[in-house]
Amino acid sequence: MKKWMIYWQIIVSTMTLQMKQSFARPMFRFCLICNPIVNTIFLYEMFLTKGPDAFLNHVVLGAGLMGIWGCICFSSVGDINRERWSGTLPLIYVAPGGFGLIVFGKVFGNTIMSLLTFVLSYVTAGVISGQWLYIVNIGYFLVSMVLMIVCFVVVSLCFAYIMMLSRKTELYMNLIEIPLVFICGFTFPVEVLPEWAQAISNLLAPTWAARLLRMSVGQVDKSVYVECTGILVIELLLMVLFTIGLYHWMDKRIRIRATLEVS
Amino acid sequence: MHFLRMAWLNFKGQRAAFNLEEFLLLETAYPFLTLMFHCVLAGYAYGTTDLTDWVIGNAFLLCTNICVFSLGSSFRAERAYGRIRSIMAGKTSKLEIVLQKGFFSGLVSMGTTFAGFAIGCLVFGISWSNISWGSMLLCFTVAMFAATGFGLVLSVLGLMSHQMHLILNLMEYVLLIFTGSNFPITQLPEAVRVISYVLPLTRSIQAARGVVNGMEWNAVLGLLVSEILVGIAYILLAAGLVKYAERVAIKEGTLELF
Repeated sequence: MKKWMIYWQIIVSTMTLQMKQSFARPMFRFCLICNPIVNTIFLYEMFLTKGPDAFLNHVVLGAGLMGIWGCICFSSVGDINRERWSGTLPLIYVAPGGFGLIVFGKVFGNTIMSLLTFVLSYVTAGVISGQWLYIVNIGYFLVSMVLMIVCFVVVSLCFAYIMMLSRKTELYMNLIEIPLVFICGFTFPVEVLPEWAQAISNLLAPTWAARLLRMSVGQVDKSVYVECTGILVIELLLMVLFTIGLYHWMDKRIRIRATLEVS
Repeated sequence: MHFLRMAWLNFKGQRAAFNLEEFLLLETAYPFLTLMFHCVLAGYAYGTTDLTDWVIGNAFLLCTNICVFSLGSSFRAERAYGRIRSIMAGKTSKLEIVLQKGFFSGLVSMGTTFAGFAIGCLVFGISWSNISWGSMLLCFTVAMFAATGFGLVLSVLGLMSHQMHLILNLMEYVLLIFTGSNFPITQLPEAVRVISYVLPLTRSIQAARGVVNGMEWNAVLGLLVSEILVGIAYILLAAGLVKYAERVAIKEGTLELF
């Protein structure tokens, strides 16, 4: 019991510190505050001719998902590299709490703070349209939100470790934003994409998280919802296994080559 | 000749940190993918398969990477590399310096947008038979002239502001929303529509769509002339702002402060 309390304290303190550090960066503030507002305006104008269903589905959720993914791209994904540049990477790498737990705390903190993008999208859409839509299936919506948070935390951890291998984190951070928004159907259903693209899309966990969210604000078909949840959970488990494997492989490589600070 | 040499040196300076991989990914693949994303989104939102207007609009926006981000950071980069003092104290006219910075960026932007348009046509099945390529090239040239002027104004702001990340990223969205590249500007509230008309690209996008949709040549020409005037206004504004920044820097001693 005491051990779990210590883990919890490590996660909470890392989360708090990470939130403060992220918010201090102008680029993160742009992603967190400006990005969802301008994306909502853009999507609202694009979907102006569609009905209220499209409004909540594509404008609010689309801008929110784009916002949260933007925050992840420009923060969580590059956080390990940022520690490297700050000279603090060796310290957190050998901290008694464990490097994995600290990175998890950082990513979790960023993701929780990034949820603000959904609030801002909803408020912006309400202000510019004068319509305040309500979520009928609040239970499904909350479950979908929790699954989406878990999904983005796992995806961020995976990308963060992959980016640790590269010296060009900044370049790749800029490159992954739009492709994932495009292929995972954050703003339109993936069914409009060609079949080969849909096959790739279905292999990515955020596609299923976006699908669940979209389903939860419309008419919910319970069996389809459960099926999508199952697929999302399986894909997340596979991603967790991949991330753990990647972490152990990197840990071994870093210790053999002594390249922690030189990537 | 001296102008061209200096313009080339400036351009090489902006691109020096780029290698082939970065150029191909960030300057080529990523912008084209963004174009495709916006076109697919428009196809779904408007329920149409004829994406000609969106391919044109988004091809013009391909200049954002160079005109907004690369060019917009150029004066800030001069300060970071320690060259700003020489530029300000030198005898060369500030307007000439501003034009040198924009010359090759404008040319590359023109190539990118033209290639983007051609690729967009191929991907989304737009017939080339109705397109007058000479007129389109003229539209792209005029548009990139105006966009380069806009980028130069942004770059000078880098001498006065510490929030360039915010300004440049925001400007990308301003161009996306207000130039009518993805939805008609008549959709915007009247009060904010004025922003569309002071921005570059708005008129050249209309002109290029006019070329494809058979608008009268006089109307197209009128739009292009207005776009050239917008570009000239931005270049003069950039030169004026450099002088203003110089005066403020001399008075407050902040030229090299970050």
